Amino acid sequence: MNNIFVRHKWDPYLWILPSVLLMLIFVIFPIGIVFRLAFSDISRAGVVGEFIGLGNFISAVSAPVFPTVLMNTLIWVVSVVGLSTLIGFTAAMVLNQPFFGRKIARSIIVFPWAASLVIQASVWNYIIKMEYGNLNNILLNFGVIKNAINWRATYQIEFIWECAIGIIVTIPFVTFTVLSGLQSIDSSYYEAATVDGASFGQKLFNITLPLVRPSLTVSTVLNIIYVFNSFPIIYTITKGAPANKTDTMVTYLYMLAFYDQKKGPATALSVIGFLILCLASSIYMIVTMRKEEAL
Amino acid sequence: MIKERRLIASFCFVSFLFLLLILFLPLFSFQSALYTKRSANTFVGDEKYLAVRAEIESEAAAYQEKGIETTISEQVTERTNSKGKKTSMVAFSLLSTDIRSGWQLLASPFACGRILFLCLILFGILLLFLCLGLVTAGGTAVRKFKPFHHFLLDIPIAASVLLLFCVPAFALSLNLTFGRNVTLALSQNLSESDSAALFSGLDQFLFGGIAGDKLADMLGTFSFRLNPVYWCLLAPVVITLVCTLKLRFGQIRHPFLRLLLYLTVVAFSLFILYPFFVMFITAFRSNAETTDMYFLHVLPTKWIWSNLKDTLERGVLRYLINSLLIAGGATAIAMLCGIPAAYAMARMNFRAKKAYLGFIIMSQMFSPVVLLVGISRLMNTLHLNDSLIGLMFINAAFNQAFAIWLLRGTFVSISSEMEQAACIDGCSTLSALLRILIPIASPGIVTTLIFVFINSWNEYTISTVLISTQTNRPITVGITQFSSFNMIEWQYLFAAALLATVPVVILFMLIEKHLAAGLTAGGVKG
Repeated sequence: MNNIFVRHKWDPYLWILPSVLLMLIFVIFPIGIVFRLAFSDISRAGVVGEFIGLGNFISAVSAPVFPTVLMNTLIWVVSVVGLSTLIGFTAAMVLNQPFFGRKIARSIIVFPWAASLVIQASVWNYIIKMEYGNLNNILLNFGVIKNAINWRATYQIEFIWECAIGIIVTIPFVTFTVLSGLQSIDSSYYEAATVDGASFGQKLFNITLPLVRPSLTVSTVLNIIYVFNSFPIIYTITKGAPANKTDTMVTYLYMLAFYDQKKGPATALSVIGFLILCLASSIYMIVTMRKEEAL
Repeated sequence: MIKERRLIASFCFVSFLFLLLILFLPLFSFQSALYTKRSANTFVGDEKYLAVRAEIESEAAAYQEKGIETTISEQVTERTNSKGKKTSMVAFSLLSTDIRSGWQLLASPFACGRILFLCLILFGILLLFLCLGLVTAGGTAVRKFKPFHHFLLDIPIAASVLLLFCVPAFALSLNLTFGRNVTLALSQNLSESDSAALFSGLDQFLFGGIAGDKLADMLGTFSFRLNPVYWCLLAPVVITLVCTLKLRFGQIRHPFLRLLLYLTVVAFSLFILYPFFVMFITAFRSNAETTDMYFLHVLPTKWIWSNLKDTLERGVLRYLINSLLIAGGATAIAMLCGIPAAYAMARMNFRAKKAYLGFIIMSQMFSPVVLLVGISRLMNTLHLNDSLIGLMFINAAFNQAFAIWLLRGTFVSISSEMEQAACIDGCSTLSALLRILIPIASPGIVTTLIFVFINSWNEYTISTVLISTQTNRPITVGITQFSSFNMIEWQYLFAAALLATVPVVILFMLIEKHLAAGLTAGGVKG
């Protein structure tokens, strides 16, 4: 890079100033506020009192539902990220094959990514209703089942549905990230391997996987962050009911902050979630920066 | 080539096996009560009991003469009534269990019979062309396999694939006829002509026409059971999937086997499209039909297109305009701040550059949901809560990192020579950006623009917290007005959802290709 564009030492800073200001005011400030609130006493009306140290954290963590919520969050993140990566990877492999209609297939797979999560969650909410839901309607009308099935008999099953919907809406993101990685692989590797008589498994594990690993890492780490932060699906379908049994961290803290008006513990939870995400994204940052340096 | 021929042979063999299975295995059994007699105040062993018993036995003998085997079932209910007196009721029924296999269906008027007939025809074609192909190509060395022989052997493959897909179709229509339709007809939810046709068909098929008017009673206790082997009939789906995977691995390039690849892709696409299909059909149903307990129809009986107009009149138009304003404003702000920053990051060297890049990557984790409390407090202080402008800025700020990242990738990939030349000729950096770089980089810029727009359009969480006035709601929050606690107007909910979804999906399809390329540069999701 040369400095023909930089006429004055401060020029570059002037160029990035608007974006820095925007992010400072609307992203960094709220972070600061959350951190300050997490360590202060807040009345139900929202008046911020004095510094109380870790009090909020203790009351947040010692709440009886907290272990359930933490467990749910873990199940939610691991199952959604894991399975959507697996399925998305397979879908990308298929879409990387040349076949007639591939463009249409790629356009179709984009649907769950483009549509709003709250809308998709509402649709699924209708689909799995027992009394008049569309899944029962279709299965009954095609004669697969004889009587309407209660697809959401217990809250565990409802949580499984939520995870499944999470997986469906996450697949396109993985597919497209992996697909872009796959497209950058030189086909001569495969030709050479075929000449040497490599089996499909050998090609998969010795050529494809090592070469798409950077894309896969990017998509996995970003997925962890996004899935952790995903709110509309659970909020639309169960709202955490019954008794926070299907809540994840973000829905729980939303309920805590805006329904129960317990801003103190809620902000403490925000900070905990924030720290967990920091860990994930520092891994991501290291990986990306290394990749950036390699370019 | 030998592999292909082996595959053809195994395909034909498997389909033949399935056909045999359906035709000759006793696949399903029907149980119905030909005659039922209930007798109250009857104790086992007393006079009344014996009389009823004799009656039912004579009835059984009458059926025996007609050639129908029956078994007598006896059910005793004893209980003590309110006066402390013990009562007992005996119910006798004459059960007949009929076991049928596939070939008996062929003569029946049901859809499953017709599917079976189609299977037989397909199998005939398969056999004919397989023989023709093998006979004509028989002695030929593999290398001399002519296109004509290929063609002859392709037809049996196509026929066997179709045959394999007829098998689940057969199983489904079997369930439909003897399960669902019988239930619907008995509860009088089928139209009269349909149920009359069904009843006469069942009478002929099950009871040889002896039931007549008593049929409805007989069907009341009707139960329909499938041989466990029946579940094996779903195996064709697995077989085709396995073959598709093999195909995917590139080991087989047979043109008709590629068909299987398509079938998988189609199945997956249908699965993805399913919720959108539901959204579409439900949006045009009548209110009664959205909550229909009998599940009568898959498609709306009457398409009510005015649902769209009604939703628009009930405030959705306002929400759409709000969403448009928020997303448009957010995109404008994000681009105005993002393009200069991305330009500086791509073309200039400065000390804080690396730190800022790190910050941008890091900030992709800053989710508004975790920061909700902070954001709502900040907006209160700025007096921007419950305003569209506040949402514009928030959306712009949270999409900023992504926008810079993607734009920077685009700018870096474009050589800076032309701008350098312009700058040497005395052009300012700003006009070099505006006149040279932006026109060249426009595909990347449009991609970023649309992506930010879609993200802001779909944003839900912050809006629910910040917006309290009804007329300021964006569409994602607005549609929740149709789902109150005790009543959900699904048709309006989905009509509004349809209006909100169609534009973004179309926009997304436009940038899908560029986005895949942009993702390699950084990988960002909304």
